[in-house]
Amino acid sequence: MTPDNGAFATAAYVLAAIVYLVYVLSLKLRLRRLRERMIALDAPVRPRTDRAEGA
Amino acid sequence: MTSGQPSVSIPPQRDPLVGVALLGVALVYVRALLFTPIEARQGAAQKIMYIHATSAFIALYVAFVLLAIASALYLWLKDEKLDRVAESAAEVGLCFTTVVLLTGPIWGKTIWGAWWTWDARLTATLFLWFIILAYLLLRGAVEERGRRARYSAVLGILASFLVPFIHLSVYLFRTLHPMPILLKPSAPSLPNEMLVTFLSAFAAFTLLFFALLRLRYRIATLRDLVADREQERA
Repeated sequence: MTPDNGAFATAAYVLAAIVYLVYVLSLKLRLRRLRERMIALDAPVRPRTDRAEGA
Repeated sequence: MTSGQPSVSIPPQRDPLVGVALLGVALVYVRALLFTPIEARQGAAQKIMYIHATSAFIALYVAFVLLAIASALYLWLKDEKLDRVAESAAEVGLCFTTVVLLTGPIWGKTIWGAWWTWDARLTATLFLWFIILAYLLLRGAVEERGRRARYSAVLGILASFLVPFIHLSVYLFRTLHPMPILLKPSAPSLPNEMLVTFLSAFAAFTLLFFALLRLRYRIATLRDLVADREQERA
């Protein structure tokens, strides 16, 4: 008789999907953070002033 | 070729290859769960094979072999690009091995009645997972780029020695883990419909691996570029 263990298969598929999706998301976030840092570094350096902006 | 700024522009945020690969994996999910027959003796749990075995195959024979080759070539050529390939292969391989170690026990529970058994293949795979984790921790611990690349290349090569051991463990030891059904001298022992699902899963997960590898490589390149710029500014 074929055992009824479909829930185990579903659990494994869901777990695998979670691992892969979380990893993709973590890579996207890391890339975004690095891009922002790089863009900030590429921005022209403004001369420092002791006066607060708008003062 | 040892150092110097990586000559790259800022990589784009969107990467269509990752989206295509995820779509491919989603289609495999649909085919495996809804359109592939249920194996009579094992039941639906046998379908875990389509994600478990393919992830294992890609982690062991693609990711960690690539890690070994890139590491060995780095020690020879001292090209930072090779170090980045090795680093990326190790991290993506760790992700695939995590899936293997999570889905395997679920399958094992239905077939063996136990979540885990300390047999040669399972133990060696867990050991490899810890070594790759140590490899990534080592990379985070050493700041000087050349030293970090050298140390991790050596560890990466040592870790990959476990791959043939894991492959042969089912032949060398008495183990509960099933023998290979595809990667063996004789013809694959799967009915056609299951074989098509298995090969589709293999193609989709291989594409996912290379998409993730490319994305991770871009991150490593950009990280080094940012570090160089910050050093220039300091």
